[in-house]
Amino acid sequence: MANPVDVCIVGMGAVGGIMAKELATAGLKVVGLERGPMLEFENYAYKDSIRAISRRDLEERVKHEPISIRPKKGTKTRLQYTTSPSNNVGGGLMIWTGSATRFLPDDFKVYTNDVQSGNAKRAGADLKGYNIADWPITYDDLEPYYERFEWEMGVSGKAESNPFAGPRKKGYPLPPLRPSTRTKLFGEATLRLGYHAYETPQGILSQAYKPPEPYDQRIPERRGCVYCGQCNNYGCHVQAKTSSPFTVIPAALETGNLDLRTRCKVFRVNTGHDGRTNGVSYFDPDGKIVEQSAKVVILGGFLYENIRLLLLSGEGKKGLANSSGLVGHAIMAHGDVRTTGLFDDTIINGFIGPNGGMRMDDFNANNFDHTGLGFIRGATVGTSGGGTPIERCDVIPPGWPRWGEKYKENLTRYYTRCFDIGMHPETLPHKDNVVDLDPLRKDEWGIPLPRVTFSFHQNEHQMWRYIGEKCEGIMRETGASHVWTKPSKRGSRWAGGVRMGDDPKKSVVNGYCQAHDVENLFVVGSAVFPSMTGYAATPTVSALAYRAAEYIKSSDKLLG
Amino acid sequence: MSEKTSKGITLIRHHAAIVEAAAARIFPTTSTPGATEAGVTNYVSRLLTEAYPSLAGLYRNGCRAFDRHAKRRFGLGFLRIPESNQDAVLTDFEAGQVPDFKQASEFFETLRSHTMEGILGEPAYGGNRDMIGWKLVGFPGHQFGYSDSYINRPVDLEPVAVDRPYPKEEDWRGKSR
Repeated sequence: MANPVDVCIVGMGAVGGIMAKELATAGLKVVGLERGPMLEFENYAYKDSIRAISRRDLEERVKHEPISIRPKKGTKTRLQYTTSPSNNVGGGLMIWTGSATRFLPDDFKVYTNDVQSGNAKRAGADLKGYNIADWPITYDDLEPYYERFEWEMGVSGKAESNPFAGPRKKGYPLPPLRPSTRTKLFGEATLRLGYHAYETPQGILSQAYKPPEPYDQRIPERRGCVYCGQCNNYGCHVQAKTSSPFTVIPAALETGNLDLRTRCKVFRVNTGHDGRTNGVSYFDPDGKIVEQSAKVVILGGFLYENIRLLLLSGEGKKGLANSSGLVGHAIMAHGDVRTTGLFDDTIINGFIGPNGGMRMDDFNANNFDHTGLGFIRGATVGTSGGGTPIERCDVIPPGWPRWGEKYKENLTRYYTRCFDIGMHPETLPHKDNVVDLDPLRKDEWGIPLPRVTFSFHQNEHQMWRYIGEKCEGIMRETGASHVWTKPSKRGSRWAGGVRMGDDPKKSVVNGYCQAHDVENLFVVGSAVFPSMTGYAATPTVSALAYRAAEYIKSSDKLLG
Repeated sequence: MSEKTSKGITLIRHHAAIVEAAAARIFPTTSTPGATEAGVTNYVSRLLTEAYPSLAGLYRNGCRAFDRHAKRRFGLGFLRIPESNQDAVLTDFEAGQVPDFKQASEFFETLRSHTMEGILGEPAYGGNRDMIGWKLVGFPGHQFGYSDSYINRPVDLEPVAVDRPYPKEEDWRGKSR
């Protein structure tokens, strides 16, 4: 039994870092529990493609915590090892690409703007099986918190460059990152085609930066990006990437109110007779069970973990905070659809940073006319890459050899002469896509693995086809000699499963990420998204974390 | 397989020779270096002893199946048939069309991935000797960063490989510039 505290946070990634800093600064005693370690420079700063790409072990514990995954009910599950739910302080922020675009105002109103408005009907979209809802909050509710994220964590971008973006009170703290050959080609081609490409706002510093007043002055100064080109799946050796161990974690520790405990694996949220939570139980680094009491519990892990913990807790089979029966329901992930171009006449050098670069929203959300297209919503489209040879040696046009003399000749010729246009296509929440507990497989602590059942459905496939053709058009316009598009069956950038909403029968948490059933329990992360949008989740997850922290701080009822 | 760094416990000499020969068909030596010069067999054998001992069985059974299939189709073991026939054996494995070995395509894909890792991965893992894989495709290794964006022109930097433990910034700068 550990000393009782005010707040216990489970998971010290993107959410945990921000909330720990905010709550500890307000004078609350906070315990932060993280199942992985605090990575040392030696652990994260390697540019080692065998380790980061081929073997996927930036950190050793990932190997012990796979998920079990299957395409649909009744099919066989297989184990998947991935760095995506990272197991370390800072979580995925250690290895992300830094894509830091805010959601659009329209993104918060998918039911109103697409279903109720008749858009879906005009499009001829088949929405069978989907469970579409509005968010209980709007873009305006989050705007001040997006700003906090951008200015405290450090985001480089150009505010006026995306005509579709929502209104903002302040620009970005830093100018965009330096252009590369691929952003230049993409920018020029989209301009000629009449599209509106913008410099992707990125959680990577374009110059040395320390947040100015009135933002948190304890956040350390960091240097600007050196364009090594290895962001995605790698740690940042100069700490230019917006990772919480370089920003909010040191500020939180400086308060003296954060007790950060690493290698602690939470396995249950505890509840009292009054239906409130009174803390959590976890395995400490020696495998001993520790009970941590707290007035407020925050689940801030990756969505698999948040869902798994809710299902493992409470009385009976349904789990905790699950009177709606919707815990684990309607998870979403972006399809990884890429259009690749090989160039005979242009040298791209895709291994030089920045990893991101430019995107456009012309085919995202409701920014274009869907009449007769057979789908609703859309995708952002932009240059992407990842340039080490290990990552590129499997990018081969259909019908071309995968080994042998001709393969070698092509790889040698085109490695420096290729790049991708990637799509972040919005996936609609579907009733068959769920996370539950694996009835058979357990992790090394004896806890059932999260079982992910996931497939893409009709709206996604229609969208990929239409926007894929647009991407190919852009790629041809850049002057590429060989162009093809490849959709991946694998999802990335997950969301949903702990939906937020106003109605306790149709959602699990409210607009402050507070469980409807358990008033002192918060679930913060992409799990609460009712819709996933065409963007990466981090800025919105971070804004939700700032907002939930403010709500908790100001509530006498929770902390009294 | 002559590298001293390899313990070679999990891959007997005959199987190491089969891996060497098959890798040489996957990424052949032409007017430029290939799998053999990069040291793919050394990479694989270190992978099996140091990182993934659980794959040793797949390699053992796969190499045996290479021999059996070569004999079935061409009357001799894999090492004794001409390159064009070795290619035919590999093609059958890739397609999963090997009657007595269910893991044929899994083994082919594993061997293909490991061959490419042994050519294009970090030299510290035993392959990509003298960074010849990187030099071949035009990757300058793990530069500290790029002060220029090299828009539409070749990068003219000497490749850099970073060994563990990761050096301090000043050491690295000294190396790459």
